[in-house]
Amino acid sequence: MHKISLKINGKDYQDEVEPRLLLVHYLRDKAHLTGTHVGCDTGNCGACTIFLNGKPIKSCNMLAVQANGAELTTIEGLAKGGLHPIQEAFLDKFGIQCGYCTPGMVISALALLQSNPKPTEEEIREAIEGNICMCTGYQQIVDSIAHAAHLMGQSRS
Amino acid sequence: MLNFDEIFVTRNWFGKPVRRNADTRFVKGEGSYTDDLQMDCVYAGYVRSPHPHARLGKIDTSKAEALKGVLAVMTGPEVAAVTQPVGARAITRPARQHVMATGKVRYVGEPVAIVVAEDRYTLEDALDLVEVDYEPLPVVVEIDDAMKEGAPLVFEEAGSNVLLHDTLTHGDIEGAFGQADLVVKEQFRVQRYSSTPLETWAIIAKHDKGTDSYVVWANDQQPGRSIVNISNALGIPVNKLRLIVPDSGGGFGIKLAIWPYIVSQCLVSRKVDKPVKWIQTRREHLLTGTHTPDCIVDLELALKKDGKVLGLRMRDRQNDGSFVHTAGIYNLIKFANIVGCYDIKATQAEMMSIVTNKAPTVQNRGVGKPVMIFTLERLMHRAALQLGLDPAEIRLRNFVQPEQMPHTTPSGEIYESGNYPECLRKALAQVGYKEVKGQQEALRKQGTYVGIGLSASIEPGSSNLGYYYTSRGTPEYMGNAEGAIVSMDYDGNVNVLLGSVEEGQGHQTAVSQVVADMLAITPSNVTMNSQMDSLVSPFLGHSGCYANRFNDVDMGAVIMATKKVRDKLLKIAAHKLGVPAGELRLRDGAVCSAKDEGKSVSFKDVATLAYKQILLLPQGMEPGLKEVAYYKNEIAKLPNKENFNVQMTHGNSLHAVVVEVDVETGMIRFRKYVIVHDCGRQINPAIVDGMAIGSTVHGIGAVLLEEFIYDENGQILTTSFVDYMKPLAVGLPRFELSHVESPCPTSLLGTKAVGEGGAIGSLAAIANAVEDALAPFGVKVTSLPITPEKVLRAIRETKVI
Repeated sequence: MHKISLKINGKDYQDEVEPRLLLVHYLRDKAHLTGTHVGCDTGNCGACTIFLNGKPIKSCNMLAVQANGAELTTIEGLAKGGLHPIQEAFLDKFGIQCGYCTPGMVISALALLQSNPKPTEEEIREAIEGNICMCTGYQQIVDSIAHAAHLMGQSRS
Repeated sequence: MLNFDEIFVTRNWFGKPVRRNADTRFVKGEGSYTDDLQMDCVYAGYVRSPHPHARLGKIDTSKAEALKGVLAVMTGPEVAAVTQPVGARAITRPARQHVMATGKVRYVGEPVAIVVAEDRYTLEDALDLVEVDYEPLPVVVEIDDAMKEGAPLVFEEAGSNVLLHDTLTHGDIEGAFGQADLVVKEQFRVQRYSSTPLETWAIIAKHDKGTDSYVVWANDQQPGRSIVNISNALGIPVNKLRLIVPDSGGGFGIKLAIWPYIVSQCLVSRKVDKPVKWIQTRREHLLTGTHTPDCIVDLELALKKDGKVLGLRMRDRQNDGSFVHTAGIYNLIKFANIVGCYDIKATQAEMMSIVTNKAPTVQNRGVGKPVMIFTLERLMHRAALQLGLDPAEIRLRNFVQPEQMPHTTPSGEIYESGNYPECLRKALAQVGYKEVKGQQEALRKQGTYVGIGLSASIEPGSSNLGYYYTSRGTPEYMGNAEGAIVSMDYDGNVNVLLGSVEEGQGHQTAVSQVVADMLAITPSNVTMNSQMDSLVSPFLGHSGCYANRFNDVDMGAVIMATKKVRDKLLKIAAHKLGVPAGELRLRDGAVCSAKDEGKSVSFKDVATLAYKQILLLPQGMEPGLKEVAYYKNEIAKLPNKENFNVQMTHGNSLHAVVVEVDVETGMIRFRKYVIVHDCGRQINPAIVDGMAIGSTVHGIGAVLLEEFIYDENGQILTTSFVDYMKPLAVGLPRFELSHVESPCPTSLLGTKAVGEGGAIGSLAAIANAVEDALAPFGVKVTSLPITPEKVLRAIRETKVI
């Protein structure tokens, strides 16, 4: 067993974990943050996407011990009360169907909009290429992210 | 039947793109999927066969049981000894199968033992410690091999690998082919694929010692039937099983086959006396299915010179793998939709359900219709070219015309509504059909190969269950129906419970829109419980989410139950206000007199009378404001071979696609994708758009990317999303979607099937476009998927994809 300490959504966590415990299982089973999902086990689908030290990563491809000392943000930590503009945008533009890919999509969208506040449709599609949605055919997700860029631009100005 | 105008009091919400606020939890990561439920669970998993076909010898579980943290192991034969076999439906030969392997294994991945451990990781260790002796048997993988004399038998007791073989003829088929000026025929091969919901199968089973009963949480798609199947398999009364369906991360039919796993989960939960959780891995999901069956379809059209189709003949051989419960169903659905959007008077279908050592199949989005429309629309394209007609023109000459509705097809399917010519004309205008055709030659000279393809597809809904028993006497299930409970709370808000489930279609929002307009309130006043719970939900054997049935029977049940609540509300208000019920109106959460608005009573005050001040109710009236209704679609008739009415609403769509094929790389790029869609009236157009586009992308996956590949030894080679490729956001077109509205006369709201359409129509449209683009090379498309490798080989050598 290994000791780890990390900060998730601003809160400190300290635990003893098996070295082989996947970060996504730590989040879901130990920290009870079940918004981060598992869809493929192989790093393809992006349902487990979170921020680690400010960068989006797939938490099924990382061990919990590798995240020792890191600061993580999961979908649950995106908005402090209420909804983040990206979350509003996904509702406004029907970027959700079953909701299972949504947390990963929202994290990837935020990562994009932080570095590129006015993305083109092509840039949006490229930014979510690592997130698979089986329901929507992506069009309403792409529209949601474009709308989120607009909402976030408004709140900045 | 209630008249559309009698249903609604207001029209503020129906037909509007109302935001899915009920699903805010999903954007916050606060959904409640089965694996999210916070229970003190232990974990179960399956030891799976590495062999496609083998006698099952000794299963040594001792090392696994000795591992610290392992709580129980049950072998397939032990499970079989205490359960009833899986029931078959469409097949006519005997085939005995249990929920886990016993005696022999029939496909790679078949569960051989179930192990329970304290955590996911110990479980994985323990699965490796179970030692199984296999005696490999000769393997049968492909359709042609399975049909050979002396082929290894998947089910020995059947005496053949062809478990359903029937030929159904309707109309004068000999006459049609005798009078034909032209017969067009082709053999098509369609691969195995699947809609692969992003959330895999998930089950928590909990045995309660005190009552010797089970509570199960599972993302099951048809709980009404699963309850029957599970209780039958376990040999327990139905009231010893409570099934709860939490949020479900996509279904598409694939979650109709979870119940055999629930059976074994129940058994081990009883053994360990703890809640047991099984979360299927993605590898398990792809390995063990469920898949669509791969198939070989020979189709022939008999045509007159003017393009009129006189008759259609099909020979359909499908590889159903090794699940007797589903085998044969795709054949029958293909047959039921054999004429597509066309007025064809004579049909003949020879159908064969063939079992092999491939994984189980189950009803994937569209069930057989994608293949039926693919083959039919491919041949319509070919026939047009051979007759010197435009592919659009030949369709216009054969469509069932709007004035022919309701139209009965030769086999007995009743198309109640639709305007197919209008859909085509609209699509041609939108896609710029003539312009694209006009530019093709010039583009080819520049080395740019552009093609345009059309596909007209029927999109049926509301299965008339029982069609699959056609060969075997009285069906256990018939027609289609759903149940709903609608209650007005103490405070005047409304609660809805449905027997069906949802997998992301926004049912809660759609229901809240309809109920709000029936009671002159807002959707925010209406709550629908998102969980189906067999202890409280009003279910039937039909209950579930499948066959595009929600906006027919589910909504029907909600409307009828709401109507009962509304009638009672009015009676109580009439009594309270001293005004005849006929003079009352609903407005903003209150009942008031139409003549004197000062005379008014709020819903809350009516509810107070109904629930609390019950002595002030009208004489003889029962207390409470909670009503149950079951609604069935009235047009279903008992299906038989002569009158094969399998679906009760019929949406349709027209796909018009422009592609560009890179003849150096074999890559296919979309230049334009137009969908014209008719699902009658729409409850929430933004939700409809999402499903029309989403289903089309399922079709694009099937046409261009996805295939479960088996080698000649029966080993599956595609068990992750690295090998089994799904469509991604990059590479897809921006879909241009528009609608034609032909209200359905046989559903309460004029709504009809929506949800599967794109998965049905897209295959042929894209294949037709690719063949058109490659016309200068003489390349024919007869199989799917159309991969770059196949495109290049066809251009350079074979001329056939």
